[in-house]
Amino acid sequence: MTDPLFPLLYILVFPGFLFLLAYALILEYIDRWITARMQNRVGPPWFQPFADLIKMLSKEVIDPAGIDRRLFDAAPLVALAAVMTAFIYVPVIGSSPFAFEGDIVLVLYLLSIPTIILFLLGWLSRNVYAAMGGIRTVTQLFIYEVPFFLALLTPALMAGSWSISSIVAWQQQHLWCAILQPIGFIVALIGLQAKLERPPFDIPEAETEIVAGPWTELTGRRLAIMHLAVDVSLVVGSGLVAAMFLGGPAFPWSVEPGWLAGLSGLIVFLVKTFCVLFLLSAIKVATGRIRIDQLNDIGWKYIATAALVQVALVLAIQSARVIP
Amino acid sequence: MAHVVIPVGPQHPALKEPVNFRVVADGEKIVRLEIDLSYNHRGIEKAAESRDFIRVLPLLERVCGICSHSHATCFAKGIEELMQLEIPQRAQYIRTIVAELERMHSHLLWLGVAAHEIGFNTLFMWTWRDRETVQDILEEISGNRVNYNMNEIGGVRCDISPEQAGSILKRLPLLEERIGEYVKMAKSQRTMLMRFCGVGKLSRAEILRYGAVGPTARASGVDYDARRDDPYLIYNTIPWNVVTDEDGDVFGRTKVRIGELRESLGMVRYCLENLPGGPIRVQAPKTAPSGGEILSRYEAPRGELVHFIRTNGTDKVERLDIRTPTLANWTSVAAALVDQNLADIPVIVAAIDPCLSCTSRLVVADRKSGKTGNISWNELRNGVCRIRPGSNRI
Amino acid sequence: MSVISEMIRNLLTRPVTILYPKEKVTIPPGFRGRIVVSDEKCIGCGKCAVVCPARCIAMVDNQKEVSFKGKQLVRRKKPKVKLFKCIRCGLCERYCPADAIHVSSEPALCGTDKDAVSA
Repeated sequence: MTDPLFPLLYILVFPGFLFLLAYALILEYIDRWITARMQNRVGPPWFQPFADLIKMLSKEVIDPAGIDRRLFDAAPLVALAAVMTAFIYVPVIGSSPFAFEGDIVLVLYLLSIPTIILFLLGWLSRNVYAAMGGIRTVTQLFIYEVPFFLALLTPALMAGSWSISSIVAWQQQHLWCAILQPIGFIVALIGLQAKLERPPFDIPEAETEIVAGPWTELTGRRLAIMHLAVDVSLVVGSGLVAAMFLGGPAFPWSVEPGWLAGLSGLIVFLVKTFCVLFLLSAIKVATGRIRIDQLNDIGWKYIATAALVQVALVLAIQSARVIP
Repeated sequence: MAHVVIPVGPQHPALKEPVNFRVVADGEKIVRLEIDLSYNHRGIEKAAESRDFIRVLPLLERVCGICSHSHATCFAKGIEELMQLEIPQRAQYIRTIVAELERMHSHLLWLGVAAHEIGFNTLFMWTWRDRETVQDILEEISGNRVNYNMNEIGGVRCDISPEQAGSILKRLPLLEERIGEYVKMAKSQRTMLMRFCGVGKLSRAEILRYGAVGPTARASGVDYDARRDDPYLIYNTIPWNVVTDEDGDVFGRTKVRIGELRESLGMVRYCLENLPGGPIRVQAPKTAPSGGEILSRYEAPRGELVHFIRTNGTDKVERLDIRTPTLANWTSVAAALVDQNLADIPVIVAAIDPCLSCTSRLVVADRKSGKTGNISWNELRNGVCRIRPGSNRI
Repeated sequence: MSVISEMIRNLLTRPVTILYPKEKVTIPPGFRGRIVVSDEKCIGCGKCAVVCPARCIAMVDNQKEVSFKGKQLVRRKKPKVKLFKCIRCGLCERYCPADAIHVSSEPALCGTDKDAVSA
């Protein structure tokens, strides 16, 4: 940590910027491939997300009449910056060097920014579909955010720490939180699916109803960057769930040389994020889109209740001191 | 909250063909629906008047890409009745086989589209994959995947050889198994049930008042099917049942269509197993009798299709009027959408399986005032278009 | 549940999509593809041009001696088919008295020239 170059390398090269961007696109490809195979299709070639990104970056940017151009240009960048910042605190090869007490809260809030940005874009687009999509985005945010936060709160409560890295360390000593808190794990997965606006929660961008929702007026590099922001949120989200519930990058045995420990940590991280992604893709393939009023019902009646029950259970266990 | 008018179409991702809805909504609830049809008028009825009976059938097949055999058969059977032509049993069986295969591919297509409208793309991919089997069978029988061109006045053009019949019969159990899977999926898939049940409900009385036809009507408990109630071809001699349902919502229409898939499969199997021998066509006279008028009814996959034919003693029709099932069902859509959620528009519209370009009528629109209306034959002949208050606005 | 079992089954089996240039579907024997005119058999009666619903067959001048039902005769014209205007209904084949015009099972492919003429 004394080397001033190390934080810079960590942020810019690995596991920051470069690795994150590449991994986000790879994860998008894997998501599309799993979806395609489950639907008995061939799916895209491996370089498709990269090609899409390059193509969209080079496309013409169309300004809808009467928009604030600078705001429209800046908004996707803010979303991307927010989720990329969040990734710094997610443990990848071991605990993050930037970890501090309370970083879980920061990550959760940074993860919410793309959603807010989408609402803003929808509102700014001056398009009836985009505005409706924006309103749906925020309505959906209010529904899933509470159970999602509660679900991610439970490992923190159990470990008695607000730092992701110390929660990972706690799980290494005890058991995975997914085993200790299965309800919380399921709620977190559902919340993540809703946060990423994937079926059955793709209500804000329902293609057959409101064209593309807030995305309708996004073109060229704005679309590319916003798309990338969502891909990065997928990495951050699945990394977060892997860290909070599946024990993060911690390797069960201690490995001696430092570089080997780092490599094994990375492999564990990759495998666990794949598993989370596989579950998310399976949910995506197996469901259709529900209506916003139905989501409201389900979200508050069942998902929020389940999250509360999980919190109550954890508090009960804590007070009974079953787990030291 | 004040009423908001939300335009849907003529270009919109939920629509496969152009149509314009003006949805008057109160928040998320729909108050009223105004439909503007006819972005796709092709003048087929007029074009049919200038072609002889040989050349008119390929034209009529192109009224609709999905129910192409329906239009050709409906017309051919009307003309044959006017000519007092008895077509051979084997031709009737082959027509029935193609008609029921067509119904199967249409319903499988519909199931996929309905799933797509609620964002359940997986089912869309699966049904369209299995629809390929039906399409392959049709291709083998007729030589074409869409416009089969099986009919001619006096019979059919392609025969089904015993080998073909055997190879088709071998593929039917697979299809039957797949249809069984879809029955299970439709009954157990949570999001589908949530989006289909209780959506777009129409009572029996409403269906009768708005004159809806086909699976839309049968889903509301109207026990009517032109195949049984005005039998043509061999429908009164082969075993099958009319599928009805009491639900009256989109889920009911799904159940009816899946039930019809099974019935159609049974009919295809029966016809192939009991295919009588003999010729596949008889020589038809060149001209139809003068002054003949007939209303030919046919149960297309989407509902009852009606061709009104008037002949004048030549080898062409004097007047052909096509009433497609979609036209009969539009009014019921406007009624079913009232008080529903905005998000349910695509699935309720898709539930009648609309075929818009088949339905298009000539409409004159005034761009400035936005008014639409009809014109008379004489005005059309003289090239004068004057907009009168139209009856096409629902 | 049937959805999930189907998903897993699909994941473990090959996709049904046919990757066109590498694999090709087998075309059934009765497939209606491009029109082929047999130059030896055609007697130039023009019946195909009359029945064609798309009016894609034009009779062009072409003098040739052909045999028809054991008789020798000299035809004056022969059909010229506009390949991409043809709707492949097969009526010309059905009404040809000399069995000279056929819809082959070879697909017509595609092109940009609307008036391209079939060989």
